[in-house]
Amino acid sequence: MKIGISGKGGSGKTTISATLARVFARQGASVLAIDGDPNPNLGMALGLKPETLEEVRSIPRGIAERKTDEDGKMRMELKYSVEEIAALHGIAAPDGVRLLVGAKVEAPGAG
Amino acid sequence: MGEIVSEAEDVTVMDMEASIEHLSRGTVRHVDALLVVTEPYYRALETARRTVPLARGLGVNNIFAVANKLRSAEDERAVRDFCRHHDLEIITAIPFDQNVTQADLRGQSLIDFKPDAPLVAEVMRLAATLRERMLNHGSSADKFLSKPNC
Repeated sequence: MKIGISGKGGSGKTTISATLARVFARQGASVLAIDGDPNPNLGMALGLKPETLEEVRSIPRGIAERKTDEDGKMRMELKYSVEEIAALHGIAAPDGVRLLVGAKVEAPGAG
Repeated sequence: MGEIVSEAEDVTVMDMEASIEHLSRGTVRHVDALLVVTEPYYRALETARRTVPLARGLGVNNIFAVANKLRSAEDERAVRDFCRHHDLEIITAIPFDQNVTQADLRGQSLIDFKPDAPLVAEVMRLAATLRERMLNHGSSADKFLSKPNC
Protein backbone atom coordinates (compact mmCIF):
# COMPACT_ATOMS: atom_id res chain seq x y z
CA MET A 1 0.00 0.00 0.00
CA LYS A 2 1.49 3.33 -1.08
CA ILE A 3 0.18 6.41 0.66
CA GLY A 4 1.02 9.94 -0.42
CA ILE A 5 0.50 12.75 2.07
CA SER A 6 0.13 16.26 0.76
CA GLY A 7 -0.85 19.58 2.31
CA LYS A 8 0.33 23.08 2.94
CA GLY A 9 3.50 23.68 4.94
CA GLY A 10 2.57 23.79 8.61
CA SER A 11 -0.61 21.77 8.10
CA GLY A 12 0.84 18.92 10.13
CA LYS A 13 1.48 16.58 7.21
CA THR A 14 4.97 15.63 8.41
CA THR A 15 3.76 14.77 11.94
CA ILE A 16 0.89 12.76 10.45
CA SER A 17 3.21 11.00 7.95
CA ALA A 18 5.70 10.06 10.66
CA THR A 19 3.06 8.91 13.12
CA LEU A 20 1.30 6.85 10.45
CA ALA A 21 4.61 5.20 9.51
CA ARG A 22 5.38 4.36 13.16
CA VAL A 23 1.84 3.05 13.78
CA PHE A 24 1.93 0.76 10.73
CA ALA A 25 5.37 -0.49 11.76
CA ARG A 26 4.15 -1.26 15.29
CA GLN A 27 1.34 -3.29 13.73
CA GLY A 28 3.95 -5.44 12.03
CA ALA A 29 4.10 -3.88 8.58
CA SER A 30 7.38 -3.37 6.83
CA VAL A 31 7.38 0.39 6.40
CA LEU A 32 9.29 2.63 4.05
CA ALA A 33 8.94 6.35 4.80
CA ILE A 34 9.94 8.71 1.99
CA ASP A 35 10.67 12.35 2.68
CA GLY A 36 9.76 14.13 -0.52
CA ASP A 37 9.91 17.60 0.94
CA PRO A 38 12.76 19.82 -0.26
CA ASN A 39 13.21 20.93 3.36
CA PRO A 40 13.31 17.47 4.89
CA ASN A 41 12.29 16.99 8.52
CA LEU A 42 10.53 13.64 8.44
CA GLY A 43 13.58 12.14 10.16
CA MET A 44 13.08 14.16 13.33
CA ALA A 45 9.34 13.54 13.29
CA LEU A 46 10.05 9.80 13.06
CA GLY A 47 12.21 10.06 16.15
CA LEU A 48 15.73 9.94 14.76
CA LYS A 49 18.40 11.29 17.10
CA PRO A 50 20.20 14.51 16.10
CA GLU A 51 23.47 12.63 15.53
CA THR A 52 21.69 10.19 13.20
CA LEU A 53 20.00 13.05 11.39
CA GLU A 54 23.41 14.47 10.52
CA GLU A 55 24.25 11.27 8.69
CA VAL A 56 21.09 11.44 6.61
CA ARG A 57 21.98 12.03 3.02
CA SER A 58 19.69 12.60 0.12
CA ILE A 59 19.57 10.02 -2.62
CA PRO A 60 22.40 10.83 -5.06
CA ARG A 61 21.36 12.19 -8.42
CA GLY A 62 23.08 9.38 -10.31
CA ILE A 63 20.38 6.89 -9.46
CA ALA A 64 17.74 8.73 -11.47
CA GLU A 65 17.71 9.55 -15.14
CA ARG A 66 15.68 11.90 -17.29
CA LYS A 67 12.87 10.31 -19.27
CA THR A 68 10.25 11.80 -21.53
CA ASP A 69 6.70 10.87 -20.62
CA GLU A 70 4.13 9.58 -23.10
CA ASP A 71 2.54 13.02 -22.81
CA GLY A 72 5.83 14.69 -23.69
CA LYS A 73 6.72 15.83 -20.19
CA MET A 74 10.20 15.35 -18.77
CA ARG A 75 10.43 13.42 -15.56
CA MET A 76 12.98 11.58 -13.49
CA GLU A 77 12.96 7.82 -13.51
CA LEU A 78 14.79 5.67 -11.01
CA LYS A 79 17.37 3.20 -12.31
CA TYR A 80 16.83 0.92 -9.34
CA SER A 81 13.81 -0.37 -7.46
CA VAL A 82 12.66 1.53 -4.39
CA GLU A 83 13.62 -1.51 -2.31
CA GLU A 84 17.18 -1.44 -3.67
CA ILE A 85 17.45 2.27 -3.00
CA ALA A 86 16.01 1.85 0.50
CA ALA A 87 18.61 -0.82 1.21
CA LEU A 88 21.49 1.30 -0.07
CA HIS A 89 20.43 4.75 1.10
CA GLY A 90 17.73 4.15 3.68
CA ILE A 91 18.21 5.04 7.33
CA ALA A 92 16.92 2.86 10.16
CA ALA A 93 14.32 4.74 12.21
CA PRO A 94 12.47 3.59 15.38
CA ASP A 95 10.06 0.63 15.20
CA GLY A 96 11.91 -0.65 12.14
CA VAL A 97 10.77 2.09 9.77
CA ARG A 98 13.22 2.76 6.95
CA LEU A 99 13.58 6.38 5.93
CA LEU A 100 14.49 7.54 2.47
CA VAL A 101 15.17 11.22 1.88
CA GLY A 102 14.18 11.59 -1.71
CA ALA A 103 13.93 15.28 -2.42
CA LYS A 104 17.04 15.31 -4.59
CA VAL A 105 15.58 12.71 -6.91
CA GLU A 106 12.77 15.01 -7.82
CA ALA A 107 14.73 18.25 -7.82
CA PRO A 108 16.64 17.90 -11.14
CA GLY A 109 13.40 17.51 -13.07
CA ALA A 110 11.81 20.57 -11.53
CA GLY A 111 10.56 23.46 -13.60
CA MET B 1 22.07 -5.97 2.88
CA GLY B 2 20.81 -8.83 0.75
CA GLU B 3 17.77 -9.63 2.80
CA ILE B 4 16.76 -5.98 2.91
CA VAL B 5 16.78 -5.75 -0.89
CA SER B 6 14.54 -8.76 -1.35
CA GLU B 7 12.20 -7.79 1.47
CA ALA B 8 8.89 -6.49 0.16
CA GLU B 9 7.73 -3.24 1.73
CA ASP B 10 4.19 -3.58 2.94
CA VAL B 11 3.55 0.11 3.38
CA THR B 12 5.13 3.17 1.84
CA VAL B 13 4.34 6.55 3.37
CA MET B 14 5.49 9.54 1.34
CA ASP B 15 5.60 12.98 2.89
CA MET B 16 5.20 15.13 -0.19
CA GLU B 17 6.40 18.65 -0.72
CA ALA B 18 4.11 21.47 0.27
CA SER B 19 3.51 22.88 -3.18
CA ILE B 20 1.23 21.12 -5.61
CA GLU B 21 3.65 21.14 -8.56
CA HIS B 22 4.96 17.72 -7.54
CA LEU B 23 1.65 16.25 -8.59
CA SER B 24 2.61 16.57 -12.24
CA ARG B 25 5.96 14.92 -11.74
CA GLY B 26 5.09 11.28 -11.91
CA THR B 27 5.19 10.06 -8.32
CA VAL B 28 1.66 10.83 -7.24
CA ARG B 29 -0.07 8.86 -9.95
CA HIS B 30 1.32 5.66 -8.45
CA VAL B 31 -0.03 6.09 -4.95
CA ASP B 32 -2.93 3.94 -3.84
CA ALA B 33 -4.27 6.72 -1.67
CA LEU B 34 -3.55 10.43 -1.45
CA LEU B 35 -4.22 12.11 1.87
CA VAL B 36 -4.67 15.85 1.68
CA VAL B 37 -4.03 17.35 5.09
CA THR B 38 -6.03 20.49 5.63
CA GLU B 39 -6.70 22.98 8.40
CA PRO B 40 -9.78 25.10 9.03
CA TYR B 41 -8.14 28.15 7.46
CA TYR B 42 -8.84 29.67 4.12
CA ARG B 43 -5.40 29.19 2.63
CA ALA B 44 -5.11 25.54 3.67
CA LEU B 45 -8.56 24.79 2.26
CA GLU B 46 -7.63 26.68 -0.89
CA THR B 47 -4.51 24.50 -1.32
CA ALA B 48 -6.66 21.40 -0.93
CA ARG B 49 -9.14 22.77 -3.44
CA ARG B 50 -6.38 23.13 -6.05
CA THR B 51 -4.72 19.79 -5.25
CA VAL B 52 -7.74 17.54 -5.58
CA PRO B 53 -8.69 18.09 -9.26
CA LEU B 54 -5.03 17.89 -10.23
CA ALA B 55 -4.63 14.54 -8.50
CA ARG B 56 -7.92 13.29 -9.93
CA GLY B 57 -6.72 14.32 -13.39
CA LEU B 58 -3.62 12.20 -12.88
CA GLY B 59 -5.77 9.19 -12.15
CA VAL B 60 -5.46 9.04 -8.37
CA ASN B 61 -8.70 7.36 -7.36
CA ASN B 62 -8.53 7.40 -3.60
CA ILE B 63 -8.19 10.97 -2.43
CA PHE B 64 -9.13 11.72 1.16
CA ALA B 65 -9.00 14.80 3.31
CA VAL B 66 -7.44 14.69 6.75
CA ALA B 67 -8.98 17.52 8.74
CA ASN B 68 -6.29 18.62 11.18
CA LYS B 69 -6.01 21.18 14.00
CA LEU B 70 -9.72 21.37 14.74
CA ARG B 71 -10.22 23.59 17.81
CA SER B 72 -14.01 23.70 17.88
CA ALA B 73 -17.19 22.28 16.44
CA GLU B 74 -17.25 25.37 14.24
CA ASP B 75 -13.81 24.48 12.83
CA GLU B 76 -14.97 20.98 12.07
CA ARG B 77 -18.15 22.25 10.42
CA ALA B 78 -16.14 24.62 8.20
CA VAL B 79 -13.94 21.79 6.92
CA ARG B 80 -16.90 19.44 6.52
CA ASP B 81 -18.87 22.03 4.53
CA PHE B 82 -15.86 22.67 2.34
CA CYS B 83 -15.22 18.97 1.69
CA ARG B 84 -18.87 18.24 0.96
CA HIS B 85 -18.91 21.09 -1.51
CA HIS B 86 -15.84 19.70 -3.27
CA ASP B 87 -16.93 16.07 -3.15
CA LEU B 88 -14.03 15.14 -0.90
CA GLU B 89 -14.33 12.55 1.83
CA ILE B 90 -12.86 13.31 5.25
CA ILE B 91 -11.15 10.11 6.33
CA THR B 92 -9.97 11.45 9.70
CA ALA B 93 -10.74 14.50 11.80
CA ILE B 94 -7.96 15.39 14.24
CA PRO B 95 -8.39 17.86 17.09
CA PHE B 96 -5.80 20.56 17.66
CA ASP B 97 -3.07 18.86 19.68
CA GLN B 98 -0.60 20.99 21.58
CA ASN B 99 1.59 17.92 22.12
CA VAL B 100 2.73 18.31 18.50
CA THR B 101 4.44 21.64 19.28
CA GLN B 102 5.77 20.32 22.58
CA ALA B 103 7.35 17.28 20.89
CA ASP B 104 8.77 19.48 18.16
CA LEU B 105 10.37 21.86 20.69
CA ARG B 106 12.13 18.89 22.25
CA GLY B 107 13.18 17.43 18.91
CA GLN B 108 11.21 14.29 19.63
CA SER B 109 8.70 12.28 17.66
CA LEU B 110 5.14 12.77 18.91
CA ILE B 111 4.57 9.04 19.40
CA ASP B 112 7.62 8.85 21.70
CA PHE B 113 6.89 12.12 23.51
CA LYS B 114 3.23 11.37 24.19
CA PRO B 115 2.06 7.94 23.05
CA ASP B 116 -1.53 8.71 24.10
CA ALA B 117 -1.68 12.11 22.36
CA PRO B 118 -5.00 12.77 20.57
CA LEU B 119 -3.24 12.96 17.19
CA VAL B 120 -1.64 9.54 17.74
CA ALA B 121 -5.02 8.06 18.66
CA GLU B 122 -6.62 9.46 15.51
CA VAL B 123 -3.73 8.29 13.31
CA MET B 124 -4.13 4.78 14.75
CA ARG B 125 -7.75 4.91 13.67
CA LEU B 126 -6.64 6.25 10.28
CA ALA B 127 -4.22 3.33 9.83
CA ALA B 128 -7.00 0.84 10.58
CA THR B 129 -9.35 2.59 8.14
CA LEU B 130 -6.72 2.64 5.39
CA ARG B 131 -5.96 -1.05 5.87
CA GLU B 132 -9.63 -1.91 5.69
CA ARG B 133 -10.40 0.29 2.71
CA MET B 134 -7.26 -0.14 0.62
CA LEU B 135 -6.20 -3.73 1.10
CA ASN B 136 -9.54 -4.90 -0.25
CA HIS B 137 -8.90 -2.97 -3.43
CA GLY B 138 -5.81 -5.02 -4.30
CA SER B 139 -3.06 -2.47 -4.01
CA SER B 140 -0.68 -2.62 -6.92
CA ALA B 141 2.81 -3.58 -5.85
CA ASP B 142 6.06 -2.00 -6.96
CA LYS B 143 4.77 0.88 -8.96
CA PHE B 144 5.25 3.74 -6.56
CA LEU B 145 8.23 5.01 -8.46
CA SER B 146 9.04 3.98 -12.00
CA LYS B 147 11.50 1.20 -12.52
CA PRO B 148 13.46 0.49 -15.70
CA ASN B 149 12.18 -1.95 -18.30
CA CYS B 150 8.83 -2.66 -16.78
